Amino acid sequence: MSHLLEVDDVSKSFGGHAVVRHVSFVLDAGASLGLVGSNGAGKTTLFRCIAGELPIDSGSILLDGDALPSRPDARARRGIARTFQIVELFGGQTVLDHVLVALQAHQGHQGPWRDLVHGGRTSSGERERCMGILALVGLADRAETPATTLSLGDRRAVELARALVGEPRLLLADEPSSGLDGEESRILIHILNRVRKETGVAVILVDHDLGTVKAVADTVIAMDAGAVIAAGTYETVVSNPQVMSSWLGQSS
Amino acid sequence: MSEFFSFVLQNVPWGCTFALVAVGLVLTYRATGVFNFGFGAEAYAAGLIYAELYWHGVDRLWAAILVVVVIAPLFGALLDWGLFSRIPPGNSMAKIVTSLGVMVVLPSVVQIFVGATNVSAPPAPLFNEYLPVWHIGSGPLFVSGSELTTMLATAIVLIVLMLGLRSRRFGLPMRAAVESPKLLELMGVNAKRVSRGSWMLATMLAGLAGVLFAPTETPISANNYSVILVAAIAAAALGALRSLPLAVVGGVALGVVQGVVQGYVASDSVWYQALVPSLPFFILLVLLLVHPGMRRLENRNDPMSGVEPPAPPPALALRPPHINRVIHRFRWLVLGTVTLVVITFTPGPWIAALTIGASFSVIFLSITLITGLAGQLSLAQAAFAGVGAATTAQLAVNENVPVLIAAVAGAVVAGLGGWVASLPALRLRGLPVTLLTLCLALLADNLIFPTSWIGGGDNGLNVPRPHIFGIDFTAVDSKPFLLLVLAVLLAVSGVVHVLLRGTTGRALAAVHVSPVGAASAGVSVRRLTMFVFFLSAAIAGIGGSLFAMSYLQESPSDFNWFFGPTFLVIVVTVGATTVEGAIEAGFGYALIAQALTYLPSTVSTNTNATQGALTVLILSVGAFTYATHPEGIVEAVKRSLARTVFRAVPANPAERRTRGVS
Amino acid sequence: MTSLEFIDVHAGYGPYRALNGVSVKITEGESVAILGANGVGKSTFVRVASGLVATTSGVVTVLGRSVAGVSVHELARRGIVHIPEGVGLFSDLSIEENLFLRIGAHRSPDNRERLSAALDMLGPLRDRRRVKAGQLSGGQQRLVAVVGAIAARPRVLLADEPALGLSPAAADDVYGALAATKDPLTTLVIVETRLGRVESLCDRSVVLDMGTVMYDGLTTGAEDVLTGLLHRTSE
Repeated sequence: MSHLLEVDDVSKSFGGHAVVRHVSFVLDAGASLGLVGSNGAGKTTLFRCIAGELPIDSGSILLDGDALPSRPDARARRGIARTFQIVELFGGQTVLDHVLVALQAHQGHQGPWRDLVHGGRTSSGERERCMGILALVGLADRAETPATTLSLGDRRAVELARALVGEPRLLLADEPSSGLDGEESRILIHILNRVRKETGVAVILVDHDLGTVKAVADTVIAMDAGAVIAAGTYETVVSNPQVMSSWLGQSS
Repeated sequence: MSEFFSFVLQNVPWGCTFALVAVGLVLTYRATGVFNFGFGAEAYAAGLIYAELYWHGVDRLWAAILVVVVIAPLFGALLDWGLFSRIPPGNSMAKIVTSLGVMVVLPSVVQIFVGATNVSAPPAPLFNEYLPVWHIGSGPLFVSGSELTTMLATAIVLIVLMLGLRSRRFGLPMRAAVESPKLLELMGVNAKRVSRGSWMLATMLAGLAGVLFAPTETPISANNYSVILVAAIAAAALGALRSLPLAVVGGVALGVVQGVVQGYVASDSVWYQALVPSLPFFILLVLLLVHPGMRRLENRNDPMSGVEPPAPPPALALRPPHINRVIHRFRWLVLGTVTLVVITFTPGPWIAALTIGASFSVIFLSITLITGLAGQLSLAQAAFAGVGAATTAQLAVNENVPVLIAAVAGAVVAGLGGWVASLPALRLRGLPVTLLTLCLALLADNLIFPTSWIGGGDNGLNVPRPHIFGIDFTAVDSKPFLLLVLAVLLAVSGVVHVLLRGTTGRALAAVHVSPVGAASAGVSVRRLTMFVFFLSAAIAGIGGSLFAMSYLQESPSDFNWFFGPTFLVIVVTVGATTVEGAIEAGFGYALIAQALTYLPSTVSTNTNATQGALTVLILSVGAFTYATHPEGIVEAVKRSLARTVFRAVPANPAERRTRGVS
Repeated sequence: MTSLEFIDVHAGYGPYRALNGVSVKITEGESVAILGANGVGKSTFVRVASGLVATTSGVVTVLGRSVAGVSVHELARRGIVHIPEGVGLFSDLSIEENLFLRIGAHRSPDNRERLSAALDMLGPLRDRRRVKAGQLSGGQQRLVAVVGAIAARPRVLLADEPALGLSPAAADDVYGALAATKDPLTTLVIVETRLGRVESLCDRSVVLDMGTVMYDGLTTGAEDVLTGLLHRTSE
C-alpha cells in the first residue's frame, strides 16, 4: 500500500541560497509528524512547497501515490489543508463565514450561479456542517463573532476549523502554539488531538514548543540549514547532539 | 544615418521631461509610499501659476523660484497634513484612491480659482529661447532655452536625489517612514516631520516639472500633463518604480523612441495618428506583464498596525434589529411609492437628468463589484461602458438590430473585454492592476474609440430608443423610458446585491483580505477574478448603452479615459461597499450637474467647462474624506446618524464583545 | 532614583480598556518581568511607557518626568527604548541601516565604535550586514532588533516578548544579549507569558490580569499566582 504523502528528494532555493536541500520523508494516513529545527532551517518553506504556494526546484511530492496539481487552491481541494504561523484571517468576516467560505469552495459552490439561483442564501445543511466543525474546535458559541476580535488562541482555532471543514487528508500546522500562553497552548494541544482522533486526518506539525511537539507528534524530523539531520521518535531526536546544538541550545 | 542621429538628439530634451516626471514619481513612491497619480495635476497647477505670474509681469526667474521653492512645497505640506498623513501605512487602497482624487480634482480647482483655460506658454526661467545653433554631422541641431533648462534640471535633480536617498541623515528616515512611522518614532525620529519633508520635496519636483514643461505648449492644458504623466509612469516602471537612474534612462529612451518613430512614419498615416501617442501605453503594458519587479509591488503591512484602534462597526450593525425588520418589510412599498410620485410630478429636464443618473448608477454598480467587493481599483470601467455603448450603437444603426438586443450584445462584448483584461490581472494585485487598467483605458481611447467602425467617427452615431408594446420612448424626457432604465437598474442592483451577500461575496472578500488564506481554504482566485472582471465590465457595458440611449447619441469621447478615475473616485467616496452607495453616487452625479445649469451665466464665462469642473469638485471633495472613512462618506454619515438616533439602544452583541489587541 | 512609575493608570484602544488602574514603581537598574496570560494588558503596559498608547487617566512618569503630551520620538531620545512585539525592524532596510536608525546618523568616532560593537554582538551575521532585514530568519531578525536596542544605549529598555516564535537556541541568544545590558544604570522591563527564561534575568515580577496588578514581588513567588490565574480562566 502506498503512503499518504511521499516527499522525495525535494530541494528549493531562493536566489542561489538553498533553503531546502534534498529532503525526503513519508507519512501514512492518520499519522502525525513533528518538524523541528532552528529559525530559518527551511520548515516553513517546505510547508509552502507541499501546499503548492512555492514551486519546487527538484524532487517530487506525491499524495496517495499521485502527483499534485500545481495551484495551492487545487491542492487544498485535493485534501491538503494548512494553518499559518501568523494567522491569515479574512478581515471583518465572522467565525462562521470563515468556515463557510472553505466549505463552499470545497463543494465547488463558489460558482456565482448558485448565488443568483438561491438569492445568495446558505443552505441549512451547510450551516449545520460548519457548526459541527466549530463545535469540534470549541468555537460553537462564537460563530457570529467577527474573527479578528477573538484572542490569539481562538483565532488559531478559527484557522483550524477553516482547514478541517473540507475533510482534508493532511493538515499542515505551522507553529500553532507560537505566541500562546501556557493555558491557551494546552487547549490547542487538546483540540489537535481530538481532531486527529475524530477525523483521522494526518498532521505535520512545526513548532518550537517542546511540550506541543511531544504531545502531538508520533515521530519527529529535525532540520538544519535546509536538510534533515535527524528522524525518529521524540526522545531520540531531542537527544541527538546535532539537534541539541542547532535547535535546543543550552536549554536542553 | 545622420538623419537618425539627429532624430535621436533632437528628442533627448523631450525625453528629459518624461525623465524628470518619472524621477518625481519614483521619489514620491519611495519616500512616501504613495504612487502619486496626482503628480501630473500638481505639475499642471504649477505650470499654470508660473505662466500667470509671468504674464502679470513677474520676472520669469523669480516667478519660477516662487512656484518651485515656496508654493509647491507649501502645497505638499498641505497634502500631507490634510490627506496622506491620515492614511494608515498599510492601507494601500486609500493611498491610491486619495492620489487619484488629487488627479481628478486639482485641475478643476485650479481652473475655477486661477480661472484660466487659455493661458499662453511663458518663456523658460533660464536662457534665451533662441540659442546658438550647434551643428552635428550634416544636420543642424536646435536646442532651445527651455530644452537646455530641462536637461540641466534633470541631471541636477538625479544626482541630488541619488545622493540624498542614500544619505543616512535624510534618505534613511524617509525610506523607514514608508514602512512604519510608528516604529521610526520608537527609534527617536520625528516621523511626522520626515513625512512632511518627503511630501514637500516630492511636490517641489512636480512644481519644477510643471514650470519647465509650461514653455513648450500653448495653451497650457491639463490633458497634456496627463499624457506626460502616463509616459513617465512607463519610464518609472522600467526601474520597477524604485530605481532613479533607470527612470531617467527610461524617460529619455521613451522620448527618443517616440521621436524616431515620429520621424520615420508619414505624418498623414493612420499609424502616425494612433501609434505614436499610444507608444508609452504599450511599453507600460509590456513592462507590467514581463517586469518581475512590477509584479512584486505588493504592499507590506505595517508591523506596528496592532497599536491602532480597531475599525468602527458599519452603520447597519448600529441599527437595532426591530427597526431593520420594519425597513425590510416595507422597502418595496416605499421605493415604489416614491418612484411613482417623483416621476409623476417631476418636470421634463429633471426627468432627463434622472434617466442619466440611473444610467450612471448602473455603470457605478460595476465599480461596486470590482472595487468594493473584489478590492481591485480598476480605471477601465468607463472604457468598458464606452465599448458597450459603441457596440450597441453600431449594431442598432448599421445592422438594424433592435436596440435592446444590441444592448445585450454590447454587454457581452464589454464583458469579453473585461475577461481579456483579467488574464494579465490574474498575476497582479494592487497598484499594478490599477496601472494595467489605466493602460487599457488609454489604449481604448487612442486606438479603439477613434476608429470609425467602432466609435462612429467624429460625430458619433444617433442611438435609437427601443420600440416595445407600441410605447413611444423617443422623447428626451420620456417617462416610460425612465421607468425602463430604472427597471434595468433594479435588476442589476439585485444581481450585485445577491453576489455581495452570498458565497461569491464572502469568497471575494476573503481573497481580497488574505489571498494565501483563501487559497488554503480551496478558493479558486483565478476563476473568481475572471468572473468579476467579466461581470463588472458587462454591467458597465449595459450602463454605457443606457447612457447612449438616454442621450440618443453615442460619441467616441463620451467615455474618454479620464472618466475612469473620475468614476472610481466618485463611487469610492460615496461608498463602494454597498449597492446604495453606487445608486446615490449615480443620481448625485447627474442631479448636481442638472442643478448647476441654473447657475447664472455671470458666475463664469465658460459655463460648460465650469459645470463639469464643479460637478466633479462637489462629488470628489469627499475623496479627501476617504483617508478617514474608507467605507465611504455616506456610510460614515449614516453611522453617526445611527449613533445619535439609536443611542438609547444597547450596541449589538458583536460590538460589545469587540476587544482590541493587548 | 525612580525610572518608571505608573499611578492608577487606565488605558485602552477604542471601546476596549486594556489597563484598569495599574500602579507600579520601578527603580533605576532594576530588572522586572511583566507576566500574565494573553490579552491582560502586558503589551499595553509597555506601550504606555514608551508613549505609543495614551492613557485615559492616571499618571505615568518616566525618568522623573511625566509622559503626558510627550511624543514617542521625544521619549525615545530620553532613553526609553522599546522593542515592540513582532519583528521590530524595517524589513526593507539592511541590518546596518536598521542599526544606524538606532545609533544615529552622525559619522562620529563614538557612533562608529557603537556600530562595530553592535556588529560584534551579531556574530556571523556581521558579514551579512548589507542584507535586507526582511530576508533574515525570524530568530536573526529578533537578534538584530535586540542588539540595535542595546546600541541605542537605553536608560529604560522595554522588551515585548523578545523570544516570540523563536527556536529554543535562538531564544537563548536573544536573552543572552538582553542579559548583557544589565548594569546599575539600565532598567530592564521584559514582557512574557511564561516564566521560563525571565526567571534568571529578573528578580522582580509583576503579574497582570484583566488590566490590574495581581502580584508584584519576587519572581520566585510569581509562579503560583500565574498558575492560579490560568486555572481560573480554564474553568
